[in-house]
Amino acid sequence: MTRVMIVDDHPMWRESVARDLGSRGYDVVGTAADAPSAVRIAAAVRPDVVVMDLQLGTTSGVDATRDIVAAAPDTRVLVLSASAEQDDVLDAVKNGASGYLVKSASLDELDDAVGRTADGDAVFSAGLAGLLLGEYRRLHDAPDDDAPTLTERETEVLRLVSRGLSARQIATRLTLSHRTVENHVQNTLRKLQLHNRVELTRYAIEHGITDDPE
Amino acid sequence: MDSPHEGNAAPDFLLPLWRAVVAFRLIAWVVAVAVFVRGWDRFPDHRIAIVLLLLMAAWTAVVTVAYSTDAGRRSRMAGYDLVVTVAFVAANLLTQSAAALSDGAPILTSLWATGPIFALAVERGRDGGMIGAVAIGAALIALRQKIGDQEIFNTTLFLVAGVTLGYAATTTRRATSVLREALAAEGATAERERLSRSIHDGVLQVLAIVRRRGTEIGGDAAELSALAAEQEVALRSLMTSRPTSSGGQVDLAATLRLRATSRIEVVTPAGELMLARRTVEDIVAAVGEALNNVVEHAGSGARAWITAEDLGDRLLVSVRDDGVGIAPGRLVVAQESGHLGVAQSIRGRIADLGGTVALQTSSGQGTEWELTVPKARP
Repeated sequence: MTRVMIVDDHPMWRESVARDLGSRGYDVVGTAADAPSAVRIAAAVRPDVVVMDLQLGTTSGVDATRDIVAAAPDTRVLVLSASAEQDDVLDAVKNGASGYLVKSASLDELDDAVGRTADGDAVFSAGLAGLLLGEYRRLHDAPDDDAPTLTERETEVLRLVSRGLSARQIATRLTLSHRTVENHVQNTLRKLQLHNRVELTRYAIEHGITDDPE
Repeated sequence: MDSPHEGNAAPDFLLPLWRAVVAFRLIAWVVAVAVFVRGWDRFPDHRIAIVLLLLMAAWTAVVTVAYSTDAGRRSRMAGYDLVVTVAFVAANLLTQSAAALSDGAPILTSLWATGPIFALAVERGRDGGMIGAVAIGAALIALRQKIGDQEIFNTTLFLVAGVTLGYAATTTRRATSVLREALAAEGATAERERLSRSIHDGVLQVLAIVRRRGTEIGGDAAELSALAAEQEVALRSLMTSRPTSSGGQVDLAATLRLRATSRIEVVTPAGELMLARRTVEDIVAAVGEALNNVVEHAGSGARAWITAEDLGDRLLVSVRDDGVGIAPGRLVVAQESGHLGVAQSIRGRIADLGGTVALQTSSGQGTEWELTVPKARP
């Protein structure tokens, strides 16, 4: 049974999502309303999936995502946000979230997204694909030789995701296997996360932060 | 003549200039005293010279007070200062004979008389500085009753100083007003962000909850749920869209985002996509036509995605729906029969921008428009 934790500062939303996911056969093992308690509880109960809101009162879901991924590497974070702030979404994904869904998504979509996140897939909305394409373009234009780049195939796949095609539709159109499409999508995310970690490490070394950056 | 900058009410950055004007006047009066003491023997009537010096001191006090207050700086004090100072220059005739003055006798107001040039320059910019310099230069020439090298040199110096300081004052004034606008804009952005956050925490959350519970309950509540969903999307697109424009450029991403509904998703990069206003208008019009096509032909329940991607020197804009698609040949038929068909219109607009249009459609598989547009206008 997939073990899920829900992080949101709205009690009514937490209960609603917990009840919904419970009815779909998930085991809701914890809830939290702010970033510090989310990190503490996730480290203790080690859920398979954390459903994470990005604006947690005065604390940030982006910080919580980064710290949870560091403290519990097997835990995957699915961002479920009403946030209209695209930069927040991009930051969360760069800091280790493996998917993003808007709160207006239906229960079926949420069920599917949590299931796929637990299976290790990246859950991409069209909007997130567009943000990633933009981020790779920004990195491409930036004067940094180490910046990650997309292969032609990855760009093609990401572009089709941004146009609302499902992995299955993309597989049909490009005559690829469904698994290959999923892998391409995951790679676009992993490269960005890896780059982000390298950047953080470099920053830490340059600024003489002595804590082990890993 | 009113100052053209009257409405700006004492820009703070001009204060140092005004202080300099005041300090200069005070120092210049001390110099006038020194001229008197040094040229003691050449003044036939010391009492008249001392009275003139005291009157100059009194006027210096008046303008010092005036130039040190907001109200004083906003009045036409510099103009009065010029008139009174020209009168003081003429009053030198009381201390010296006209012949002696023409012969180069010391005059008490020499440096002190240049004060209003600078005051006018700061108050009214270049033109003020010029008027002051010409008036004072002419007054001195009239006093000496000759135009020698010294007079030409002095007047030129007054002009250079007055015009330069005038330019500096005008630039400072503009910088101040630009800074004010920037600060106001920053304040507005901060306020918008604050509103945005509180809307997120409150309204969007509640709409999402209504939507969720409404769908679960079903029946009439499902209708409420659909309404809540529409408003949620509308609000979110309103919050993320900043139809910013600057220097004839408009943000395409923000403009497209205004198109979002619960059926239409708009996908853009996180930042801005600044383009010439007319390019944006043409792209948005083409996207609008493709969307109308979705509404008319894709069938009820169809969804659509608008994407905009930055390719460096070009933009890739797409409009896709998951509707019934256009049957093969129908677009061609519409074009050949001379109707301003959707394809012709879209192709025409994009061709004008130096771009290309690709259309992928087949019956039952939706329609996908792909517009490639160069960023620079042809």
